[in-house]
Amino acid sequence: MIRVQDLSKSYKRGGETLTVLDGLNLEMEAGRFYALMGPSGSGKTTLLNLVGGLDRPDAGELFVAGEDLGKISGAILAQWRADNVGFVFQGFNLIPVLTALENVALPLTLTPLSRSERRAHALHALELVGMQDRAHHRPKQLSGGQEQRVAIARAVVTDPQIILADEPTGDLDRDSAGQVLDLLVQLHRDLDKTILMVTHDPHAAERAQSIVHLDKGQLGRIEDTPRALAAGD
Amino acid sequence: MLRLVVRNLTKHKLRSLLTVGSLVVALFLLCILRTLVTTLEAGTQAAKSNRLWVQSAVSLFVDLPLAYEAKIDAVEGVEKTCKVQWFGAYYQNEDSFFGQFAVDGDTFLDMYPEVVIVAGSRAGFLANRIGCLVGKALAKKYKWEIGDRIPLIAALFQKDDGSAWDFELEGIYEVTEPVWDDRTFFFHWDYFEKTMEATTTGQPDVGTFVVQTRQGADQVPVMAAIDQLFEHGPQRVQSTTEADFQAQFVSMMGNIPFFVAAIGGGVLLAIFLACVNTMIMAAREQTRDIGIMKALGFTDRSMFGLLTLQSMTLCVTGGLLGIGLALLAEPWIAHGMGSFFPGFAITAGTRDLGIALTLGIGVLAGIVPAWQASRLRCVEALRSME
Repeated sequence: MIRVQDLSKSYKRGGETLTVLDGLNLEMEAGRFYALMGPSGSGKTTLLNLVGGLDRPDAGELFVAGEDLGKISGAILAQWRADNVGFVFQGFNLIPVLTALENVALPLTLTPLSRSERRAHALHALELVGMQDRAHHRPKQLSGGQEQRVAIARAVVTDPQIILADEPTGDLDRDSAGQVLDLLVQLHRDLDKTILMVTHDPHAAERAQSIVHLDKGQLGRIEDTPRALAAGD
Repeated sequence: MLRLVVRNLTKHKLRSLLTVGSLVVALFLLCILRTLVTTLEAGTQAAKSNRLWVQSAVSLFVDLPLAYEAKIDAVEGVEKTCKVQWFGAYYQNEDSFFGQFAVDGDTFLDMYPEVVIVAGSRAGFLANRIGCLVGKALAKKYKWEIGDRIPLIAALFQKDDGSAWDFELEGIYEVTEPVWDDRTFFFHWDYFEKTMEATTTGQPDVGTFVVQTRQGADQVPVMAAIDQLFEHGPQRVQSTTEADFQAQFVSMMGNIPFFVAAIGGGVLLAIFLACVNTMIMAAREQTRDIGIMKALGFTDRSMFGLLTLQSMTLCVTGGLLGIGLALLAEPWIAHGMGSFFPGFAITAGTRDLGIALTLGIGVLAGIVPAWQASRLRCVEALRSME
């Protein structure tokens, strides 16, 4: 599903070149739930952005869902994102002027679905995350946990193969964080999604099946979580 | 997408309302100012090519001797001549002022087929020595009906006893071309002349002569011949085509087209910059949303379209409201302008120019922020909110 080979990425900050990923090699299986951990600056979010097609690598190969992302750009890459990836961000990133239902239906405007079909799909996604009764609320009328659940509904509404979550519980209290993690586990289990979740929280990471440790832009190790070992995954 | 556009615009209601409001005012002003120019030009364009005006070479306000009429009539190429004298009286009080002219009634109506009698009759007007013709708008304003007696208090041509001049309404006219407006009052030269002869002032002079040339006659030699005729006085004359005579009034007001274009252009430029500012602010506030949408799979081009559509919606709303308001206000403004701008009407050309400018402002105001939005890198846009 995800194959990374000699992947490098650096940024220029104040005239200085900062190497974030330095010849990273990594393989991830389809349908598996990965937690991505590592100290700040280890390249977790950069890797997530590259895997999601939000950014382009400087060197190396990056195959995701059968596509070499280093070789596509512009409108083709945008379409690839729409077809294959759902994003969940730390700051929720809902469009503030749209209702929960409209936010969830937004990615569907890129599909050939009719308006009523889009609405039905969006309502179903909201139902999946237990937010159907908040469909007509604007983001500012929702709690942080509720906003993140709506964001998760938006991430799955187009039925993508991969869900990329960047610190999805970072801005939430413990209860809300637990609910969001439960939801991600449920989506992985019921919908067979490949999930890649960046987190600093070891408890959150343990909800995944595997933990990928990054250090200074390189792969540290990959370990299966106790949950996966217990389940025989 | 349209819903998102509308929601983004209504997110800052006051800012959007102020921008729309400024566009309403700008397009309203543009339509009205340009209509002043087109109205003035329409009078010139409607002028007939076979009519000449003969006035004093010194000034329009200097009269010509009555005896000039016979000499002008005798010039080769002249078919008929009509005396015209500005009367300058008022009705009831000095505020009730409108244009009045003593004319050779029969000749005047022959020369001006654009003046069509719609109530009363030409025969009635010609048969009644104190008969008068008034424009439809003027009759409506004072609720005059055929047969009404209309006393006018003279300011320039007073009777010795200071009494009012009496007239009887014999005809109400409309105009098919804006050579005259429909707020003017015409009466018989004979009545004017005989009445003045009975006063200590004596026989009146003539303000201007309108000359109709024979069909096919070359006007240049006719004008030259008339001017040459009175070269040695007692009063030198200046002959012009009717179009030039009308244009003279326009030029008397200064270079109105330039003045109006300068004001209109300045207003539009200011509004354009205000719209650009509004759109740049809106786009900056939406950086995060643009990043999110790009992450969801929206293309750079669709982001360009979103911002352009937003700008167009804002500008078209304001622009069309301004044009619509100008069209709605047109009858009131025309009424208020009275005789100064006869035939004041917003032309299709002015309306279309307004629409074109509205669309132009919409596109140009949106193009910079739209281009910036399309160039924005997704990761940077998402990072900017953190």
